[in-house]
Amino acid sequence: MRYWNSVWKMGGILLLAYVIVRGFGTPLQPGLVEANPSRLKPGLADLELKAVGQPFAEENAPIEGHQLILKSDQDLIATNLTRISPHSVQASVVIPDLLPSPALDAFLFTPSSGTLFLGNAFFVEGAGTGPVPQAFAATPPAEVDPNLGFSFPYQPNIIESIRNLLWHVPMWFAMFFVMGIGFVASLMQLRTDKADWDHRSEAAVRTGLVFGILGLITGSLWARWTWGAWWVSDPQLNGALVTVLLYTGYLLLRAAMGEDERVGRITAVYNVFAFVMLVILLMVLPRYTESLHPGKDGNPGFNSYDLDNSLRAVFYPAVIGWGALCYWMYTLRLRMNRLEYRLLNE
Amino acid sequence: MYSGFQSTLQTAKTIASLEWRLEWRQGHQIASVGMFALSSVYVAFQAARNDVSADAWSAMLWMVYLFSGFTAVGRLFDRERSSARRYLQWTVDPLGLMLGKLAHAIFTTTGLSAVVLCGFLLFLGWPTGETAKMGIVVFAAWLGGLSMTTTLVFVTAVASQVKAGGSALGAILGLPLLIPQLILATRLTVGALQGTPWSLVAEIPLFLTTLCAGTSIMACILFPYIWRA
Amino acid sequence: MNTLMNHILFLNNLEGFFFGSGKAHVVTGVSLIILAGIAFSMWRMDRRLTQLENEKNDTPS
Repeated sequence: MRYWNSVWKMGGILLLAYVIVRGFGTPLQPGLVEANPSRLKPGLADLELKAVGQPFAEENAPIEGHQLILKSDQDLIATNLTRISPHSVQASVVIPDLLPSPALDAFLFTPSSGTLFLGNAFFVEGAGTGPVPQAFAATPPAEVDPNLGFSFPYQPNIIESIRNLLWHVPMWFAMFFVMGIGFVASLMQLRTDKADWDHRSEAAVRTGLVFGILGLITGSLWARWTWGAWWVSDPQLNGALVTVLLYTGYLLLRAAMGEDERVGRITAVYNVFAFVMLVILLMVLPRYTESLHPGKDGNPGFNSYDLDNSLRAVFYPAVIGWGALCYWMYTLRLRMNRLEYRLLNE
Repeated sequence: MYSGFQSTLQTAKTIASLEWRLEWRQGHQIASVGMFALSSVYVAFQAARNDVSADAWSAMLWMVYLFSGFTAVGRLFDRERSSARRYLQWTVDPLGLMLGKLAHAIFTTTGLSAVVLCGFLLFLGWPTGETAKMGIVVFAAWLGGLSMTTTLVFVTAVASQVKAGGSALGAILGLPLLIPQLILATRLTVGALQGTPWSLVAEIPLFLTTLCAGTSIMACILFPYIWRA
Repeated sequence: MNTLMNHILFLNNLEGFFFGSGKAHVVTGVSLIILAGIAFSMWRMDRRLTQLENEKNDTPS
């Protein structure tokens, strides 16, 4: 029990070190990112497909084993599949005059990396609507279940930035965690009027604010990568901004009250109000409006990220690690508050 | 004579009517809010000239509303601050006082909506003409305004406890809290101006009412702690 | 957006974006150094606080 205090702190730091090494060191599963040209006309067309994760590396994949199929309800088969580099291939395909729909999805069957998929890869202009003539029909090869080892799942648009999941999300969790501590402390402060509860809630809000701001920064970086803008108007993002501003208001209120002996009570009232607003704004309202942000639409989790086992093995340590770091910061601030109080009042 | 809750309601009624009569007697305060609202509308009109889109119209409406709301509600607890009124603390039921202030905020909102909307009609007209659903626009202005003022009542109550610079602090604490209300209200107004069917925007009034009710209930629960501090 | 992404992804065609160029190792290294710095300063603060608390407890006022 005597050493427990050192153990959890060191443990948190070690977990975070593991998260950093694993988070940045784990390779991404291969996936298709772009098709070129993306607009096609009926007739013979030359295509190029680009991928991340080196699925066409020479040592693991002879190109003859690959087969490219374009789908628009029915399958079109591509020929002359040639490898250009570890992450790009060329092929040619004959586009018929009739297609069930003008949008074509690309399916690339590889023996080493499984099926690579790019939705709406091509758009055909000038083709009529109708079933594809028999001559074009193709049968896709049997799918292989590749053994990709320890790797993070490929998500279109997100791609490598999926590593941010280990920073952004646990930071918000950590903020919720300490803000919750602050909320309970403020409730207790209102019940008992003891200064110690006030020290707790002040420390909690201060620490939570640090993590909230970090969460905003990591979120903004992620938004720039995936949505193309540093900030978009979205219920979840607005709620996050309001939360950070609200708790900044808490510290301002505290500063404005100065030495007033009612500071504990008044700020506790404000803190309870702020936390209830936080729950309404971040957890209730975004679920009932459409949002770009994943994990919404009435769904509390984030399974749109397909948290697979590899990601889980890093994500859960990240949650615990960031939580421990956050709690450690909170205890430091709390002890500072207590010492200051004792120095001034004894 | 009265049971607990009845006496609370009685206090609320007294406070609300007292507030109202005081406002009326000190006519310059109502007049200053009205002046502020109307001149902001005029500034908006001058800035936009004609050719105002639905977006610009509702943006200007809510900017004017926001700052008029601050001037109207920001001094709601000024009277309770003066030392001459300190004795109220020992005699008045805080819940009744809060309810009275909230009731007063409803009156203020109604008056303010009327002034601001009339000003907008007079100077800017309906931006989208026939397609606008006037009933919904008026309703949106009132409900959005109400959810703003009820939030401001609580924030002002907290800020009024600070000895120096309470009104500036009220604005600083209040603004972030009003962002969600403003977003929802703007969406509702723009929808109504563009003639969006009611069924497509019906959820927004629901959210606004939730926020309004949430902040009012929180204010009623928490205000006694401030009052007796 | 697509152009930017492609520009970054295919800057060097022969190397993968993330691993071939060695950027990942730099990022890992810098992150680990920052983490170590934070951990060290917090550890020191922790010890100082313990010291002060002990002093305070030993000399009752």
